[in-house]
Amino acid sequence: MSSESIPQAVSGTDAERLPPQSGEVIDRNARVAFTFDGRDYAGYSGDTIASALAASGVQVFSRSFKYHRPRGLLCCAGQCPNCLVQIDDEPNVRACMRRVEAGMAVRSQNAQPSLDRDFLSLTQLAAPLMPVGFYYKTFIRPTALWPSYEQVLRRAAGLGRVDLSSLPGAYDKQYLHADVAVVGGGPSGMAAAVAAAEQGASVALFEIEPSLGGRLRFSPSHSSRMATLLATMADRSDIEVHTDTAVLGWYQDNWLAAAKGSRLFKIRAKSIVVATGAIEVPLLFDNNDLPGVMLGSASQRLVHLYGVKPGAKALVVTANDDGWDAAADLAEADVEIAAVVDERRSCSSATAGELISRGVPAFFRHTILEAVGSKRVQAARVARIDPLGEADRSAARRLACDLIVVSVGWTPDLALFHMAGGESVYDAPRSEPHPTNAPEGIFVAGRAAGAHTAACALDEGRIAGRSAAASSGFGDGPDASEAADLQARKAAEPVRTSARTMVPGRKKRFLCYCEDVTDVDLNTAIVEGYDSLELLKRYSTISMGPCQGRMCSMNTVHLCARANGKQVQETGRTTSRPPLMPVTLGALAGQNMEPVQLTPAHQWHLEQGARMMVAGLWMRPEDYGDPVAEVKAVRERVGLMDVSTLGKIQLTGPGVPELLERLYVNQWRKLGVGRVRYGVMCNDEGIVMDDGVCARIQKDEWYMSTTSTGATAVFEWIQWWMQSGWGDGVHAVNLTDSYAAFNLAGPRSREVLRKLTDRDLSNGKFPYMRVRSTRVAGVLCRVLRIGFTGELSYEIHCPASFGLHVWHALMAAGEEFGIGPFGVEAQRVLRLEKAHIIVGQDTDALTDPFSANMEWAVKLNKRDFLGKPMLTRISERGTRQRLVGFRMARPDHVPEEGLQAVRPDGNGKQEIIGWLTSCRFSLALGETIGLCWLPANVAAEAGTPFQIRRDGELEEAYVHHGPFYDPAGERLQT
Amino acid sequence: MSTWAPPVKLSPLHETARDLGARFAESSGWRIPEAYSAPDAEIAAAKRGVALADETANGKLQVEGRDAETVWESQVVEIGGGVAVGSERVYRLRGDCFFVSTSPGRDIAVRRALMDRASGRFVTVTNLTHAFSEIRVLGPDAPTLMSRVCGLDFAAAAFSDGAAKQSSVARTTQLVIRRDAAVLPAFSVLGARSLATYLWEILMGAGADLQIAPIGLGAIRALESR
Repeated sequence: MSSESIPQAVSGTDAERLPPQSGEVIDRNARVAFTFDGRDYAGYSGDTIASALAASGVQVFSRSFKYHRPRGLLCCAGQCPNCLVQIDDEPNVRACMRRVEAGMAVRSQNAQPSLDRDFLSLTQLAAPLMPVGFYYKTFIRPTALWPSYEQVLRRAAGLGRVDLSSLPGAYDKQYLHADVAVVGGGPSGMAAAVAAAEQGASVALFEIEPSLGGRLRFSPSHSSRMATLLATMADRSDIEVHTDTAVLGWYQDNWLAAAKGSRLFKIRAKSIVVATGAIEVPLLFDNNDLPGVMLGSASQRLVHLYGVKPGAKALVVTANDDGWDAAADLAEADVEIAAVVDERRSCSSATAGELISRGVPAFFRHTILEAVGSKRVQAARVARIDPLGEADRSAARRLACDLIVVSVGWTPDLALFHMAGGESVYDAPRSEPHPTNAPEGIFVAGRAAGAHTAACALDEGRIAGRSAAASSGFGDGPDASEAADLQARKAAEPVRTSARTMVPGRKKRFLCYCEDVTDVDLNTAIVEGYDSLELLKRYSTISMGPCQGRMCSMNTVHLCARANGKQVQETGRTTSRPPLMPVTLGALAGQNMEPVQLTPAHQWHLEQGARMMVAGLWMRPEDYGDPVAEVKAVRERVGLMDVSTLGKIQLTGPGVPELLERLYVNQWRKLGVGRVRYGVMCNDEGIVMDDGVCARIQKDEWYMSTTSTGATAVFEWIQWWMQSGWGDGVHAVNLTDSYAAFNLAGPRSREVLRKLTDRDLSNGKFPYMRVRSTRVAGVLCRVLRIGFTGELSYEIHCPASFGLHVWHALMAAGEEFGIGPFGVEAQRVLRLEKAHIIVGQDTDALTDPFSANMEWAVKLNKRDFLGKPMLTRISERGTRQRLVGFRMARPDHVPEEGLQAVRPDGNGKQEIIGWLTSCRFSLALGETIGLCWLPANVAAEAGTPFQIRRDGELEEAYVHHGPFYDPAGERLQT
Repeated sequence: MSTWAPPVKLSPLHETARDLGARFAESSGWRIPEAYSAPDAEIAAAKRGVALADETANGKLQVEGRDAETVWESQVVEIGGGVAVGSERVYRLRGDCFFVSTSPGRDIAVRRALMDRASGRFVTVTNLTHAFSEIRVLGPDAPTLMSRVCGLDFAAAAFSDGAAKQSSVARTTQLVIRRDAAVLPAFSVLGARSLATYLWEILMGAGADLQIAPIGLGAIRALESR
């Protein structure tokens, strides 16, 4: 590393700030203080971080990815990686795009220990040992060391740092709709927007920069034209303008994604105008990455938009009239022009003539060989171009300067157009790709289509806008003659882009600034066989960095074509993929939208200290602090559970019995009014998908319940089959949210309910598996006498708006009987004691009713029902596995659900024969019980022993058939 | 059994409104948030940006069946359209399915009347008043707020006053009805009652930069009468 220290400005000075410029975007009355690497700086409101630092004389903004070379401002347009900085906890911010804000703590990236003295720049000395592909070849062995390699490499070569402890910001998404979307707010984009709006189309325009105007903003000669356009835009309420908004990608049916800060836009447009402009391309020459080497448009932006003087003495390297314009702007800003080096033989630009007449040295048919300096430009070496078109190094001359402005051409920004399915053809004489074969509804305008003069760009914008409007159904579109005339004018424009991509030399010439890839690296990769563009990209990582190929893509194609001896057209291009610009993961995620369903008594549960659990989208009380006491209350007194989460579906019409016969495996046609039946629902492969009860409320009105998590799926399932021909005479309505439902369970439940209703609750008048409509606490409810707990119980369904009232009434009425709320955990124990299954816990995606011990429900003598063919086959061939109860030999051992059931295989080892699905300690029984899957022959006989593998130990268990508790069901029907 | 007075109906947003400091009034059997702050301030908030109101108390009926259209004497609009029929508003969701919105407390009577008119035909009239919450989003920024939670086009040209569309709103299924409050754009969002708290919070979060504010039915009445 050189002992030369990078000259940094005195903090906060405006040493390089110019007097007020016409069209500048800064407010000189509003100072903004911030820090950069801990030092105090001040800019003006409207400044970008980069312009504010440049105004204070800062020249080095970052260190490069691999070699840690100092990097300065190159594009000032968010296209290159040179000014990536970290702001607080946000890494990889483009300093040339982000406006400075008061109190910002800006830090440089990838510099150790500091931007000024980065010890890792010593890697340059080892560059010959680190050719392209070095990492792939070197760090693959020994494999075990990769984690260590990875840590070192990540520290040495990287971008910003993610602060995992920082709190997430606020992000959201917004949908936008427009007849015409215009991407790009330069002259052609604005003209297109106005033209489309004039035809009656609604227009949305997206511009990545803070203000409209594109290059007109820093072209003083076009100020009146721009003012007219802006005024026209402002007058139109049918044009929605989104500045600071980067379009990220095109998707099917003209769906665009765009990001503005923390907001992601999803845009639906009938047609799209791509007015994305052109990107100024760099030139490869020795040390072309040295701070002080800058694109022509970048220098103009600094001068005109921010009033910043980019250097004291500039060499301008050009191949077109744009370079002379840049030179004139610099001269106007009091920058001494060391020379203008133009590779053309001559030029007819009036600006050039004026500068030359003012004594600016001009070297035609010359080019640059090298930027001289170690950490900043101190001089440049230029040379004549010989008759063969090569730089004549023998006649090189050295020119002192601190700024090298490069303006050798443009490449149209067609990434979005390509993404939309458009193609491009390379125009060799103009050294530019041109868009072709535009997909329906996609139009290209302006510099993206090769219209470099403002006049052509405006006309092309108007034509594209009217074409897009017509494509969206507004107006008739432009005359063909207008388009033909425009094409002729574009063809007559002077050539802007040089075919000279590189000037050979002896030092590093950077092709890809993001990944520190040189032209030598590219040639090495091609020699190694990676000669197709896509392979070359993956091997060398060219175009895979933060700039996504903006700076290097076209030059790579040129160099690759040359190395392979092919034409640029046949070399092709890399694939454009979203996101076109970097976007935060937060913006992609948007606002946190995780739906949560709450029951009417939710707040009551919280107030009682319930531990809540998630069941599907529902929040349910798992317990109220003591599930054992909750079980005891139900078995001995009475308990109340919120089962509002159960699915509830109303089926009406004369066709319901037939539909139910087909949906369920059991029979329904003969179920009388006022009766309730348990049903099992299978899919068409005979797999159990849900269960629940169904009540016949009236002759043509049925009330179906489903599992809590199955409600939506079952309702959609029913609708599917109704629309598939089984819906005649049936209407289905999902009433899950319409009713709150409470399970009043326990031997005293009848006494509690009796206090709240006039209905005769005696066994004779309201027996088991019946439904009654009755008022409970003054609210008309549906009361089902069913039970999942094995105790006398009632399921009380009331209109949800009365839910809290009924709950309170039940709790109050039950107080004298020792009522307590019980949660899901207590219910799990209670139902397990009765050996009731829970679909989804005890069953899986392969469970049929026969293997789940529900063969009693399957009526194969029915004409047809879902799953019948498969269930018929299963009934004939039998099942291999069966769900069966078990008791633990050691009553106090409670194995975890999911453990394996095993038995000796005869060879001294254990054979896995099944698994546990439910297991709890039963206080009522004084032992551990559960459900498990076992081979049918093992499960066939009660008392058969098997073992459960738990933490490497084997524990004895025995097969159990039937309910563990109250096997005769006497308590349920008392 | 003791004699029970007719209980009061509570919106799923009752606790939310209480936490926001709402003053409640009882009307048509419902306990309704009358105001959260000074009525003038609420009216100003709605006119300035966007406001949320809980209108769950409105009656909600679904009329389904091939002959459903015949329960109304006049021709009912095309799918997605809405029309006032008497004091109710009828929206056609499908060819054979209608949604009827009534003022609070009118749901039972209207259902009975519709069932009488449908007598002899296979038409099902279901009262969904307790099944759905109804959140009103109103104010000049209402279309912007809605576009942050729903993919529909909320511009007046694409979603006119009186139109109804079923869509995903904040990843939940909702019925969205445009029901402007005089000159203010307004949308009623109707969906599963159990999701009301979630949806309210999402809307409040999405509208934070639009100075969103809850308003009571007092402010709504004032806005609709202007």
